[in-house]
This record gives sequence, structure tokens and C-alpha cells, in this order.
Amino acid sequence: MRGQAPPGEATIMRKHKSDIVILFATLGLMALGLIVIYAIGPMRANVLNSTYGTDYAGNYFFIGQLRSVAISLVAFFLAFKVIPYKYVQKFAKPLIIIAILMSVALYVLALSGSSLAKCELGECRWFNLGIVSFQPAEFLKLALVIYLADFLTRKREENAIGKWKEFWLPLILVCGASLGLVVVAQGDLGTGVALISIIFCMLLIAGVPAKQYWIMLVIVIAVAIGSVVTSAHRMERINAWVDTITGAESSDQTYHIENSMLAIGTGGLTGVGIGNSVQATGYLPESINDSVFAIMGETFGFIGLFLVLSVFGVLLLRILKVASHTVATDERLVTVGIFGWTLAQVVVNIMAMTGLVPVTGITLPLLSYGGTSMVFLAYALGLVLQFSCYTSREEVKNVDISSRGRIRGSHYSSRRRNS
Amino acid sequence: MPRIKILRNLTLVALAIITVRLFAIQILEHDIWVAKASDQHTLLETITAGRGEIYMMDKGEPVAVVLNQTVYQIVIDPGFTDKDQIKSALEKYAKDYIVVNLDEVYSTEGLRYSIVAKNVPYSIATKIAAEGIDYVWLKEGNSRVYPEGEMASTILGFVNADGLGQYGVEGSLNHLLAGKDGTLKTVSDINNVALSIGSDNIKIPAEDGKDIVLTIDRGLESGVEEIMQDFLNNSSATNAAVLIMDPNTGEVLAMTALPNYDPADYGNVKDASAYLNQVTEVPYEPASIFKSFVYSAAINEGKMSADTTFYNKGYENIDGNTIKNAEQRLNNQYVDMKTALYWSFNTGSIHALKLLGDNDAEITAAAREKLYDYYANKFRLNQPTGIELIESEGFVWDPHAEIYGLNAAYANMTFGQNLSATMIETATAFSAVVNGGRYITPTIVKGTLEKNGTITPLENTEKIDEKILKESTSATMREMLINNRSWKVRGGVDRPGYAIGGKTGTAQVLVNGAYDSSMQNLVGSYIGFLGPSGELPQYVVMAKAWGEGQALQGTDVINLFDSISHFLISYEKIQPVL
Repeated sequence: MRGQAPPGEATIMRKHKSDIVILFATLGLMALGLIVIYAIGPMRANVLNSTYGTDYAGNYFFIGQLRSVAISLVAFFLAFKVIPYKYVQKFAKPLIIIAILMSVALYVLALSGSSLAKCELGECRWFNLGIVSFQPAEFLKLALVIYLADFLTRKREENAIGKWKEFWLPLILVCGASLGLVVVAQGDLGTGVALISIIFCMLLIAGVPAKQYWIMLVIVIAVAIGSVVTSAHRMERINAWVDTITGAESSDQTYHIENSMLAIGTGGLTGVGIGNSVQATGYLPESINDSVFAIMGETFGFIGLFLVLSVFGVLLLRILKVASHTVATDERLVTVGIFGWTLAQVVVNIMAMTGLVPVTGITLPLLSYGGTSMVFLAYALGLVLQFSCYTSREEVKNVDISSRGRIRGSHYSSRRRNS
Repeated sequence: MPRIKILRNLTLVALAIITVRLFAIQILEHDIWVAKASDQHTLLETITAGRGEIYMMDKGEPVAVVLNQTVYQIVIDPGFTDKDQIKSALEKYAKDYIVVNLDEVYSTEGLRYSIVAKNVPYSIATKIAAEGIDYVWLKEGNSRVYPEGEMASTILGFVNADGLGQYGVEGSLNHLLAGKDGTLKTVSDINNVALSIGSDNIKIPAEDGKDIVLTIDRGLESGVEEIMQDFLNNSSATNAAVLIMDPNTGEVLAMTALPNYDPADYGNVKDASAYLNQVTEVPYEPASIFKSFVYSAAINEGKMSADTTFYNKGYENIDGNTIKNAEQRLNNQYVDMKTALYWSFNTGSIHALKLLGDNDAEITAAAREKLYDYYANKFRLNQPTGIELIESEGFVWDPHAEIYGLNAAYANMTFGQNLSATMIETATAFSAVVNGGRYITPTIVKGTLEKNGTITPLENTEKIDEKILKESTSATMREMLINNRSWKVRGGVDRPGYAIGGKTGTAQVLVNGAYDSSMQNLVGSYIGFLGPSGELPQYVVMAKAWGEGQALQGTDVINLFDSISHFLISYEKIQPVL
């Protein structure tokens, strides 16, 4: 009766093979990221050394990326094979509280001028832990996904979804605090966009009434516009973007977008080849992290980017497939949250690099240089793989709005009940 | 529709938009971006070729008279360079080299790079560099140094601010002196460090310009200039020009015109005509000097000899014009041609012209044709000589020109009026008259100086060396020209043992299209040769003096010639043949 369960009945799923496509997409992207950093890391080191007088070795960034990938693989397999989600799920509340407290602590440390807070270009987003730094916003994304899944599942059971006091108020408090800390205190609009994507995807699948969903959408858009027009810094970015796509005069503000498009455009059909990127020699800002997609465009051309884009597309669709075939509501919601997270990072990053949206400063999943973001996303994708071992063969009926209330319980509890 | 499908569709739409966008950027707009990338990535630098130096001869060895020194341009970026800092630094150290108004530079919208000072010597440039002002660059370049000051500025010319040779040898031989700038084209990183990436990296090394050795003798040149200055100080002339050449080789040994100018400060001349080489670029009417040429023609054609006589009325009526002799003596009697040349009778030279047409009564078309043949085709007085300098060409009337009074014009042409020629054209033709009859292209360049000290003659220079007169014609002419100076010999000016001959020329100047009959405006010229007695002359010396509103006679210029010939004898240690 696998996958054939009638609505309203708990379904027991037997463990089967994981989604090998997600596995290979994840590992493949990590490997590609390593190759690219290997090629352009020395150029980055050279630029920093000659501009700021630092003394980075040629392989400094490659080794850093290697370390990030190693830690990410550990996190990936911990989530995939070692730690069942039910244990994690129990800590949903403490995790979000810790995550929010960490961001608060970072804010306080930054205000007090402590060296524990690491700031770049005036934005304090990292804890400085000696040899490594840690970005609490990345942890916050994961914690929010886990917490919201738990919260939404409970509210569905309680039939409280859509109710003001029981549902919207706590939701707004948690999400508002997270967004406020990330966007305002850390000035990290990119992570803010990712958080909003996570929240919207999860609420959509959690079965929020369509009317309320639309209202929420309108409010968020209004707040977003309000926050842009009231901030000179954000307005500048929007203007730079408009200047770029309208071909107005170049300025310091349009430099980043122009140069990412220049890198991509130079690549042509097949690219200039590995090691031949000129834009990576200092012309393109953030060449190894936020702008790595542009460097890949220069290096691998349209064919290469199309393949990379296809891998991301397949990864995203497979994550959605896992979600739609996952019976347990909280796991399905976690999967959808991770989908929203990945989607936001991929789409916003690439669209910024191609001039489709303003530059927000967001990393490209698994490819950009950077430890924390890769580690947490790897853990998240590991979770998806874990869930993929327990999907039903058929798409779950009433995965969202119409399945309100009745489906509850994970495969673990089901199995436990059976044993 | 299940809500999860909304997410799926959203994903597909987003990816589709991105794919289309990538296609547009990478495939459709590829060329545009490549061009932009090339602009941004290509470091294009000119490798400046070193300019060749200029040498003169001194006792058989080349010595430099134009050298290079390294100078700097100071470049700023008004967008970033601190105005007060650069202003005070420039005013403190390089006040004389500032080439812009800093306030204007800073108020020009969008101006990024500005050269604020030029020709800054190394010692000053290092002081500015030591100030450590951000966004200030020093660009190395060259400037010319003239160790001899104003000497020979007429032939040297100068190099303008753009590095282009102007006037003189700097101008005429700029192609040799300038060399060829090289190019460095390479892909570079953001700090302009050349990268090995890219297939069209080019490095063409600069080819330095050639060092040019002139035939000019430095000691002779400066000595002549001193004599000329002395002459100018003691005469009514304000300007003088002198040319000394070897009639047997065409080599110019001295060429100068006063007043000079300072080529290092070339902008500071009162009148741009000071840049002109009076010897090669300014045609004029050399006057009675030309009698040597019509005499040569008639003798060479066997139509007359030094002793041929004619009836001298003291004037001639041609086409209704009365042409008088300047010296009204020996009138209404038979005079031989030698005497006519001595007194510079115009009637004598007109008679020679008539003889060219075998008709001693009038000037015939055949006479005109013959004279034209000599002036234009043999003596080449209406064409550039081919010397390695900027040249103008003279003018002689066509024998069939449809003008009123063509015969009168031809009569004038026998005594060097109603035509024009440059000093170099005149002296080259005169050299042929005295050197045994060879027309030889004059030259001022010995060749290029190689690293090992040898001198290589210039390539692709066509030299004419053509026999245009018989030896006997030339010998007769020398005799008559020496006879012209018999009074100098008698007066003890020309020392015994030397063969010195010459001819004066006093030209009326055209004022408003007509000859000034008041004779208040005259240009005096003298041309002569010099050598040991009984030998071919070794030097031809031509001198010219003038001044606005001044009546300078050829006889005035004789004094200048005399001084120069004395100096030549002692400077070149010419031994007399007694």
C-alpha cells in the first residue's frame, strides 16, 4: 500500500535508496567550485597582495575552499546518513533561539567594537574565531527552516493556520526578528532575500489561505520598496542597476554589474578556458565568491553556464520532487524551505550577475568561496537526501491546502508504532 | 493546481529567463562585450624611440651639436590628485615648467588626466616625486640640448613639444632622426601588470633614430658667425647669410644666417621668419652674380670670349624700357667682355645674351631659348638642388612666355633680376662655373654615425654630377672672376699665392610689384671662390646682406667675403702657391 494511502491516514514509508541525482548534483557542484577557485584563487591573491600589500600564497584560496568542502561534506553526510531528522526536529525551538541570540550577540559585539565581530566594508556579519570566521546568518537560515516546519506542522494539527493570535502573531515575531537582524543589523540584503524566499515557500505549502497569502505578499513588497526608497545606499544600488540596463554612463556604482556582464559576455559560446580569465585578475569585484558565476561564464562560455544552470535546475526540481513525495508534513516543509533557500541563492545571484536584478550580495550555492554558507547548505541538502530515502512512489495527495490537519507523524514514529 | 506546482513553474520560468538572458549576453552581444573587454584589458603603450643626435665635423672628427636629455612630464588626475598639494609642489619646484592653469584643470568637468608640467629635468622631477602626492605620475621623455647655443640654428631647426622636428635638419631629416616608436600591446590585470593571457599580445621594440653627421665644420661655422656678427655691427645691414661649400664635392661646410635664435627656446622668436633657412628656403634676386652664368653660356657655346668687344652705350632700350649700367663709364666706345664684367655693365651681359642668338643687334627667340637652356636645364636655377634640407625653388621666365616685354625680362635675367633663385641654387651653379664645369648636387649630410664610429652615407640619395660646361669655359670664367678682384690684389687685400675670384650682385627690391627706382632698398650679394694659385678652387663662398629700407650694395658685401676668405685661409691652413 506504499504511496497509496488514502487521505487522512498516516502512511508508513519503508526506507529505500536516496535520490542519487541530488547527491551527484551536490558533489558535482562542489567539485566544480574547487576547480574554479583553483584556477582563479592565485589571481585573487595576487590582486589583494598588490593592492593591499597582503601576503597571500597563490594556493591560499584553494586550500580555504578545500577546507570548506571537507567540512561541508562532513555536515552533508551527518545530515544524510548519521543524524535522523526526528532528533533535530526536537531542537527546533532552541535552535532558532540560539540562532537569533547569536545574531544579537554579533550586533552587540559589533557595536562595542569588539574584535570578535568581523566587519567588511562596514557590515559586521561574521564572528571572528581566530583561524576561522562564522556567519550566524547562515545558521539562522537553517534554524528558521527547521523551526518554521515544526511550527507550521503544529499549527496545521491545531487547525490554527490563518488565525491571527495563534498563527500570524508568533510567525511575524520570529520572522520579523530574523529578518530585522539580518537585513538591518548586518546589512545583509542577500540573506534577507533568502529568508523571505524560505518563508514564502514554506507558507505556501503549509496551506495558508490564498487571500491571506496575497495580503502577506503585498505587505512584504510594500515594506521592501519602503526600505529601498528610504535608504540612500539601497537606492544607489537600484540606480546603478537601472543605469546598467539602460546603458547610461558608467560610474563606480555600475562597475560591478558591468564587469560581471563583461566577464559573461566575453565567454561567448565556449568560454576562454580555465586559467584564461582576465576579469578575475582584479577587474571583477568578489570574483571568487559572489561573482564566481560571472567568472565561470567567462571561462566556460554559454555552454558551460547552461550546463551549470541545468544542474541547479535539476537539483531544485529534484528537491521539489522529494517534497511532493514526502509524506510527513514537517519533513515536507523542511524540504520546501531548503528549496526556497537554494532557489533564492541561485536565482538572485545569477540574475544580479546578468543585470536582471540589482546586486544584493548573495553567494552562489556550493560554488562560491566561503565556508559558513556552504557548510549549512550542505547540511540542508543532506537532510533532503535523508528524506529522499523515505519518499512515496506516488505524489502525495493534498500536499498543501486541502490536506489540512489529518496527516501527522513521521516515518520514524510510524515505524516505532509498528514495531 | 497543487501549490507545489506553482514553485516548480516558478523555478522553470526563472531558469528560462536566465537562459535567454545568458544567450543574449554571451551569443548575441558577444562581440560588443569582447570589444569592451579589449578596451578595459588591453594595455597599449608606446615605447618611445630615442631621437638621433646631430653632429658636425671638427678637425675630421664628428662632434655632437644636438644632444638629448631625459625630461619628465608631470601628469595628474584632477579627480583624485589633491589640488593644494600639487599646486604648492609645482610652484615650489617647477614653476617654469607648468603648462596649464591648474584652476582651469580642476574646474573642467570629467577631466581625468592632465599634463600639468613639461620638460621637467630629472633633478626637479625627483623633488616632486619625493613629495609623495597620490595620483601624480611622471612620464619620461626626451628634450634636445644644444651645447653650442644659438650657433647654426638655421640649419639645425628644433624639436617641437610633440617631439616633431621642425625646420632645419631636425625638420628635413625627421624621418631618420625620429626613429620608429615601438608598441607594447598586452592584456593586463587591473594594476596594469602585463599578463601572459591572450593571443594577440604584441611587443614591437622601438627603433632608435639615427645619429646624423653633417658636413658642416663646427669651427668654420662658429668662426663665420662671429665674422658676420662683426659685419652686422659695423654696417647698415640687419641680416646676413653666408654659405661656404666645396665646389668639387658639393659638401656644404658652413651655412648660416643671422640673427640666430635659440633652438632650446624656439618659441621665443620675434618673427616666425627667423625659422626659415635663408640659404635654401628664400628665393631672391641675386642680381649681377648671374652675369657669370650668361657669360659662361655664351663662352661655352663658342659665341664669345673674354676679349670679344661690343659698343657700350651705357644703356639699352628694350621693349621700350631703358636699362642703364650702374657704372656710367666707358660709354659710347668698344669694351671687351672681361672689362664689362669687371665694371658689371648690364649692357655687357645683354650683349652676351644677344650673341647666344647669333644676332648682336637684338634679343632673338633663339637667344632666349639658349639662355633658358643654361639657366633651367644646366644650372638648374629654377629647381631644388636636392640638398637634404627644406628647399624652395627659383624661377626663370619661359623663353616663350606670353608676357609683355619678354625680351626686357630676359635682359634683366642676364643680370639676375626679374627671376629668383635661392642662395644654394646660385652657389651650386656658380660651383659648376668655377670647378671645371661640373654640376654637383650639394649636400649637408656626411652620413649616419654608427656605433663603431664609422660614418655610413645616406641611402637612396640621388646625386647629380654632370658636366655642363667645358673645362676651357670654366678656366676662362675663373680668370675673369679673378680679374674682377684685381683691385683687391693691388690693394693688398688678396694675398699673393691664392686664386680668389668673385662677383658682386646688387639687386633692386620689388616694392609693391615694381622695382624701387629710388635705390633706397637694395640687397647686396657676393659670390666668390678661393684656392691656391693655379689650382681648382677649394671653396665657394656666397654672402648676402640686407636690411629693411637699407641700400646694401654688392660692394658692401665684399668686405664680408674678404674677412671670411682670410679666416678660411688661416682656419683651413690653405697653403699659397707662389
